[in-house]
Amino acid sequence: MHLSDRVTGLFLALLGSLAFWGGSLLPAVPGQDVGPAAFPMVIGAGLVLCGIMIAAGIGHSFEAAESEEDDQAPGLAQHLGRMGWLAAFLPPVLLIFYVLVANALGFLLTAAIILLISARALGATWPMTIGTVLLAPPFVHLIFFRLLRVPLPDGLLTMPW
Amino acid sequence: MNSLLEAIAMVSTVEVAIAILASAVYGMVIGALPGLTATMATALLVPITFYLSPIAAVATIITSSAMAIFSGDIPGCLMRIPGTPASAAYTDESYAMTRKGQAELALGASLWFSAIGGIVGTVALMVMAPALAEIALSFSTFEYFWLSLLGLMCATLVARSSPIKAIAAALLGLLVACVGIENPGGVPRFTFGNTDLLGGIEPLPALVGVFAVSEIMRAMVSPLPPPIPSRKFGSILAGQIDLTRRFQKQMWRGNIIGVLIGALPGAGADMAAWVAYATSKRFSKTPEKFGTGHPEGLVESGAANNSALAGGWVPALLFGIPGDTITAIAIGVLYMKGLNPGPTLFTEKASSMYALYIVFILANLLMLPLGILMIRVSRHVLKVPRAVAMPLILLLCAVGAFAIGNNPFAVVLVAVFGIVGYMMERNGYPVAALVLGVVMGTMVEQNLVSSLIKSDGDILPFIERPISTGLAALTMTALLWPVAVWIIRRLRSPERAR
Amino acid sequence: MNTFTRRGALTAGALAGLAPLARPAFGQARYPIRPVQVIVPWGAGGGTDATARIVAALLEKEMGQPFNVVNRTGGSGVVGHSAIAQAAPDGYTIGMITVEICMMHWQGLTELKRTSYTPLALMNEDPPGVQVNATSPYRDIKALADAIKASRPGQFKASGTGQGGIWHLALAGWLGAMGLRADHVRWVPSNGAAPAMQDLAAGGVDIVTCSVPEARAIIEAGRARSLAIMAPERNPQFATVPTLNESLGINYSVGAWRGMAAPLNLPAPIAQQLTAAMQKVWNSQEFKDFMNARGFGMKWGDAEGLAKHMEQTDATLGAAMREAGLVRG
Repeated sequence: MHLSDRVTGLFLALLGSLAFWGGSLLPAVPGQDVGPAAFPMVIGAGLVLCGIMIAAGIGHSFEAAESEEDDQAPGLAQHLGRMGWLAAFLPPVLLIFYVLVANALGFLLTAAIILLISARALGATWPMTIGTVLLAPPFVHLIFFRLLRVPLPDGLLTMPW
Repeated sequence: MNSLLEAIAMVSTVEVAIAILASAVYGMVIGALPGLTATMATALLVPITFYLSPIAAVATIITSSAMAIFSGDIPGCLMRIPGTPASAAYTDESYAMTRKGQAELALGASLWFSAIGGIVGTVALMVMAPALAEIALSFSTFEYFWLSLLGLMCATLVARSSPIKAIAAALLGLLVACVGIENPGGVPRFTFGNTDLLGGIEPLPALVGVFAVSEIMRAMVSPLPPPIPSRKFGSILAGQIDLTRRFQKQMWRGNIIGVLIGALPGAGADMAAWVAYATSKRFSKTPEKFGTGHPEGLVESGAANNSALAGGWVPALLFGIPGDTITAIAIGVLYMKGLNPGPTLFTEKASSMYALYIVFILANLLMLPLGILMIRVSRHVLKVPRAVAMPLILLLCAVGAFAIGNNPFAVVLVAVFGIVGYMMERNGYPVAALVLGVVMGTMVEQNLVSSLIKSDGDILPFIERPISTGLAALTMTALLWPVAVWIIRRLRSPERAR
Repeated sequence: MNTFTRRGALTAGALAGLAPLARPAFGQARYPIRPVQVIVPWGAGGGTDATARIVAALLEKEMGQPFNVVNRTGGSGVVGHSAIAQAAPDGYTIGMITVEICMMHWQGLTELKRTSYTPLALMNEDPPGVQVNATSPYRDIKALADAIKASRPGQFKASGTGQGGIWHLALAGWLGAMGLRADHVRWVPSNGAAPAMQDLAAGGVDIVTCSVPEARAIIEAGRARSLAIMAPERNPQFATVPTLNESLGINYSVGAWRGMAAPLNLPAPIAQQLTAAMQKVWNSQEFKDFMNARGFGMKWGDAEGLAKHMEQTDATLGAAMREAGLVRG
């Protein structure tokens, strides 16, 4: 999602002023001249300054002109048409989905669902998708759970190892 | 001489040979898995070292960590998932090379210059450990403050974008580093009552988010790239000999930077690669090529990365001060095996020390064949079609982030930083600068506040101690140099126009 | 995998012989019959992690089932500590809790406290030492104490851990026992004991109060001296270092301890079995060798001993924190 420098600059300035304000509310610590408030306030001020400069277009000449990608992505983005840019936010949504349901469903099922959705969204064919969904989760589980003893949740399905 | 022979005898046992070989393969594999770090690889080995002889026990730690640090570059190069904060400095460079069809050359450079860096670092450890340790011990918070500022300033140098946006990105990273209770005041900051935020935001989830997840997000909305030209590479090493000739100066400079910074506990490996990459770009004849898949920066930062690892053993062996988490584990093993760190280790246990040096060199030599094998195997990852590869990377991001502390919250962080990284990149903000801010933030603040407490608010000690004077001058030069260049150009250009 | 109902999946798993479905039966069921998780609230590679890993390895030998160490980091230890407290009290999730459990609730960081657990055993305690630079003019703790008393507030600087950490409280408590204010010696926060000891050697601070094993390498390198430890008796590992009581007549002791605990309401038979196994582990030669090699202090307490020990530290640290102005909420 490409935004103008004015928008991102002003956003940074806003974030900076919030940091400055939030920092100024922090309590002083006995025995320390420079308390926990100073650092966020300095950073906040710096962000405000940078944000305003960016919004004003200073330093823009250093940037290489980035070619805006044309909307020819296969899969979900194509399907969504003019709302295609929304497809970019599917991966983080799937990660949150993982956090929410992994304990209940277990690693294997959750992983399979994530692979299914994201592979299809990227335009994978059905045979490719099904192959990935069936093979990858047990393999990842084997390496991380069995060999590295990462406690992945069992949920509904348990593996033999 | 006698102790050298003794050392050779200590190393050339079947047990040590098996320990080195097995831990080399183990470290190589774990390091290459996205999200799994060299630290974790080493920690998992500790229970096994209970049952090994002292030299074999320490050998497993040395070997596996060296291998894991190298193979951590593999997912960074092939899939843009950097394994350590250090490798984030050059992840974009090597990933750009991969997209140009030069994955083998990029990984080969990592391997070759890592091995050389490791050996140079070991030689430095052998020849001048006491001198290096003396420098490390004279570093107080005043010196660390300047050093961390210098490191932070690399942000504008490593980025290919407007310097103001780079500074803004670094500030954003510093703001992220403010979160949590791990600040000098011990006060919860920006935690919004969330327990998970109390401990702060670790660099690793941020790293995986801004690099890997943002790359997957971009894939969702971009057309299929033209297939990567799969040129057949004759020999991985042949290309490296050529690179060594071309960039000999860069290699040595990287080694020296690595050894010096690596010997400083706490700053160590994380900073060395950044500083080396920035130095390389600053003094390059073709700085505009940096970030487009140019091996020059890879040579210097790769060399720095592994020589810093060896440098980190200096304070660990001499004073038991860990340079990083890996040497912290190693110190524990040393104590358990009766090889107590300290100057006496170099005198009374000289043969054991020589044995460790030999292990260091062996590990770095063994890295070459094993690494080549690993590169040959892992490059097949690139043949997987994008629509299957990206979902798998997403899954590995989730599992890897969870594995860092077995805490699902890290996965949430990865998602959030994915969005942040994606938005930043689309709008010309360099994500590497953000990562540097996250890594250096605590260090800058901690050392500033501690120094001010010690000096009762006086700023004189910041510039009157011998080393701090030098570092302050260096920082100021680095800060004012671009401004001076800009002013001089400004003054000259109107004349030319007339 | 065409029916996603719980029963369907379970049956399928059981039929295929995949799932170890057995749950511990009531009464005198055998325990343990499947692997046990040992949660460590701190990261891999630290002292707590190392201790937990040796204990787990020996428990595994003792009880015949894997004891898997799981590092649950985050939230300055709060996340891992609450993971232990919130696990099912079935004996298959236990954990190593640390002294922070007696500190965090005073700072208002969490509701968790010592009573949120079924205590099992106290495995270790490291008392703080008082370290100075090797070139420091103070040859013994008496000289240092006199100098501190004669100094103006804030003149002496000490370090050892972050603001409000255990070694900061040790200093505050010691100053309090000498009749001085908690901030008479100024605390320089550091990122752990190792950087603090380095700063001591670099001449950055005057005193470091951290445990002697943490300071030992620098001491053995001849860069620092340990003047005293804040413990009831000397540590046999560092027998030349006197206690505060011996030289100053101050009976103040506080230490960083590590203990094993389980969620509340763990059935008594399982708890007793675990405590008994831990006692065997504590008495084993392997554990002794490990602790001695690392220089960690051996301190045993059974379930009751740990509960008492926690109660005591909780009170001592609460007082020290109030004194230092760290109590919140």
